[in-house]
Amino acid sequence: MKILIADDSRVMRQIVTRTLRQAGFGDHDLVEAGDGREAYDKFMAEKPDLVVSDWNMPEMTGIELLRGLRSAGEAVPFGFVTSECTDEMKSTAEAAGALFFIVKPFTPDGFRDALSPLLG
Amino acid sequence: MTLQTAPTIEDLGEIAEQVWSSYLDPEGVNPLLPFEPGDSEKTRTRGESICASVSITGAWHGHVVVSCSALAGRHAAAALLAMEVPEVAQQDVVDALGELANIVGGNVKSTLPAVCMISLPHVISGVGVDSHWPAATQVCELVGEWLNEPVSISVWQSRSDRAEAAS
Repeated sequence: MKILIADDSRVMRQIVTRTLRQAGFGDHDLVEAGDGREAYDKFMAEKPDLVVSDWNMPEMTGIELLRGLRSAGEAVPFGFVTSECTDEMKSTAEAAGALFFIVKPFTPDGFRDALSPLLG
Repeated sequence: MTLQTAPTIEDLGEIAEQVWSSYLDPEGVNPLLPFEPGDSEKTRTRGESICASVSITGAWHGHVVVSCSALAGRHAAAALLAMEVPEVAQQDVVDALGELANIVGGNVKSTLPAVCMISLPHVISGVGVDSHWPAATQVCELVGEWLNEPVSISVWQSRSDRAEAAS
């Protein structure tokens, strides 16, 4: 499977990549994007099987990215990895079609719990 | 509406512990060693330092600031990127400190019980860099040493928010 990682921090993209490996998902192909707009474009070019996105990004936020993909008819599994987590954000994310919400700082266990149902 | 609640040093301590155990000291050998309240002068660096902040707006207005010596910043970037300290570039340090401010700020925001927005990180570095927020006052600060280098995590609240809450 192919996973798109969207985060404006290269450091965090690297941490997510490392954590995916530690969680046992190291065999998947990874694609990175440095903001929401780039993630949208990369999605259309690469057609990944899963999107893991930050919430707060320049150009296009994570929730705008998710809504944009759904508006384009893309039903790809989508989840957030973000430092913020409020009930309102979770409700907004779920209403837009997000499947999981991982809060920073996270551990490999958090990734395993969230992604195992999707990646096996 | 203005909230009368504000994050505490205990909140910062819990958040810092999570950040260190997850990213900066996952093996538990180099923890952040907090100073006692009032010892914040110990963290004032005379050399080059780096200061990263995010701003929170909405029902609560203020800033969350993570600052440290340049060397501590390099150690942080090395830990986050799984690199050796000599391999770390200045851009890595800026990115790492910005992300730490984002993580701490996001978790501070989660302690605020009403709708707020958080900004993208702002990072400055140089000799004698320190955080100054003319329109805000510091409400709490966690200061300590990490790898024998000074680290500070602080929360600043808008003066108008505090005045309104006090009235």
